[in-house]
Amino acid sequence: MTLRAMKLAPYFFILPALALFAIFKLYPIAWSFQLSLFRTEGALQSFAGAANYTRLVADPLFWTALRNTGAVLAVQVPIMLALALALSIAFNSGLLRFRSFVRLGWFLPIVTGPIAYGLLFAVLLNPQSGLVNWALGLDIPWLTDKFWARVALGLALTWHYVGFNAMVYLSRLQALPADQYDAAAVDGAGVWRRFWHVTLPGMRPVIVLTVVMSTIGTLQLFDEPYVLTKGGPDNALLTLGLYLYDNGFRFFDFGYASAIAYALTVIIGVLGIIQFRVLRDRT
Amino acid sequence: MDRRRFLQLSALTAGGTLLSACGSDSKPQQRPQVAATPSGSITVWSWAGPAAMMKELVPGFVKQFPGVEVDVQDIGNPAIWDKITTGMAAGGQGLGDVLHIGVDYLPAYIEKFPGGLADLTTLGADKHKGAFAQGMWETVSREGKVYALPWEANSAGFYYRADLFEKAGVDVEAITVWDEVIEAGIKLKEKTGAHLLAIDKAATQTDSANLFQFLMQLQDGFYFDMQGNVTIDTPAGVAAMTIIKKLNDAGLVADGGGGWNTMISTIKKGNVAVQPMPTWFGGIIAENAPDQKGKWKVRLPPAVAPGGKVAAIVNSTHLAIAGSSKNQATAFAFAEYVLTRPDSQVHIYKGKGIAPALMAAYDDPIFHQPSEYFSGQKMGEIFLGSLKQPSYVTNYTADYGRALKLVDDAQTKVLLQGADPAAALREAADLLANQTGRKVQR
Repeated sequence: MTLRAMKLAPYFFILPALALFAIFKLYPIAWSFQLSLFRTEGALQSFAGAANYTRLVADPLFWTALRNTGAVLAVQVPIMLALALALSIAFNSGLLRFRSFVRLGWFLPIVTGPIAYGLLFAVLLNPQSGLVNWALGLDIPWLTDKFWARVALGLALTWHYVGFNAMVYLSRLQALPADQYDAAAVDGAGVWRRFWHVTLPGMRPVIVLTVVMSTIGTLQLFDEPYVLTKGGPDNALLTLGLYLYDNGFRFFDFGYASAIAYALTVIIGVLGIIQFRVLRDRT
Repeated sequence: MDRRRFLQLSALTAGGTLLSACGSDSKPQQRPQVAATPSGSITVWSWAGPAAMMKELVPGFVKQFPGVEVDVQDIGNPAIWDKITTGMAAGGQGLGDVLHIGVDYLPAYIEKFPGGLADLTTLGADKHKGAFAQGMWETVSREGKVYALPWEANSAGFYYRADLFEKAGVDVEAITVWDEVIEAGIKLKEKTGAHLLAIDKAATQTDSANLFQFLMQLQDGFYFDMQGNVTIDTPAGVAAMTIIKKLNDAGLVADGGGGWNTMISTIKKGNVAVQPMPTWFGGIIAENAPDQKGKWKVRLPPAVAPGGKVAAIVNSTHLAIAGSSKNQATAFAFAEYVLTRPDSQVHIYKGKGIAPALMAAYDDPIFHQPSEYFSGQKMGEIFLGSLKQPSYVTNYTADYGRALKLVDDAQTKVLLQGADPAAALREAADLLANQTGRKVQR
């Protein structure tokens, strides 16, 4: 084999992946940007410049969707990640019995598809015939009241993702060097101080990872609110993803849907950069 | 998780891509269609009951045109709308030849996907023009072109549990306006504990404002007028929503959250006394609650205001031919076989109680027989009486989907948050005008 061929070989190896990426990702991404500059009604289009974007800024439902997404981000994500951290420490504890079984139990929900577990929650939380109200002996209007619908969504999301995040934390926890704990113990640090000054700093990279991943996941939230209430009641669970879907596939307004997609992309990008800046290693 | 979500976005944008591709290249396809003998194979898209009935009609069609193959597919409803939309967005790729389309989707497909549905005048549809109930032909036509043949014409109906009302001492047949329905409902609840009717208050399904729409249609009103202006918060709209609010405030409305399955289970349980549903619903009640035979009756709905209309065609469905179909002649022949032969329509009515738009079908004795299930009432004649009245042609426009969502939201605000009907509808109308560039007519 000639040197030239050797040099070219790596490019051939990545070519299939690159080609697929270009066809199925790059091309649609570029095209949807163009589409976002057109006023579309099904197959009819006319160039509209930034009209879809100005319309977005003036659209109360877009802001409702953004607020709803922000609420999940500000409430559900921190609770879930704190819970995951606590769980991971419990999983790592020498006191825990049936360790693999318990870990597996918490991890399993992530294996369930969002539609499947969304349906499961919708059935369980059905205000009239659901198991949850029956078991609690209560009459909570899960899914039909704006507040409780948001609680229901938070419960479903937490159930699904907490185990996965706990596993990510656990993997890091197991890799933390024991000598730092020993040193801290010698210096007289208690359990709480060891957690605060040894565990947390050591966990920083995975915390950043999970925060960023959860943020992106939340901003793209679609399946769960769609299955639970289709975004209702009165837009209580309307997310950007749902509003995008509605505009594209229910209202045939693909140009506007593309504009929403790009607004979403910009928001994700900006939030991602901020999070990495704030949470990065300060060394 | 991220990758899958990303794929969803990609799928959306890819859909848009194909869409724009078809927007720039494809022109309405005009294939010269000679009146050829039907041949080859066709695929028919429909759902549940209608699909089952068409399957039963296939052998007769094949007997008439030997060698033809017809594959009737039950796509499911509402899945069929997404599937047709994606097919249309892809320039007709993968669509069935014959498409069963509801009146609520037809205008959007016609207006937003030019060429997506074949113009049936080239296939000779005009000869059937006078065969259908009033208003039907206008519903399937646009500017001299005909995009579908009418199948079912559903009139507004009022199904009620006669036994429960009897127990409450209410004569339902004597009721003339909805305010009396409210009074009757209060008596009914006191005496029997049953709710008057059910509404999906949180709008878990898109069709949760059916009663509102039905009450508007009884007043010759709708979400749009014939010029396409937004007419949600007209006096007709406010009157309709006010009735719904009064019903709810009186504690007469059960929550029908969950849509279809909840509705069927409330019928089985018998804790809701009225189903303000169209013609086709009679068959559903009989099928799902055979043990309640003799307990149900049906009448045309009471008017909104004294002396008002009690008849309205609230919805209809149609068979269209895909513009991309390679076998339009055969597809059209099948649609004709199903929809323009009284025998076919009578067979379908007997099987699933689907009310024909084809007026000739009503000559059959089946429409004039007492119904065993409905306490010996001549159900067919009741609804035929409605079809014979002048019908208001409803302009669904291509923005019906948006209107429906905003009306659902307004109803939820009224029912769950106690909002003022006029204010909630005004907000919806303004938002709809803002989103669609239409004008509001108040």
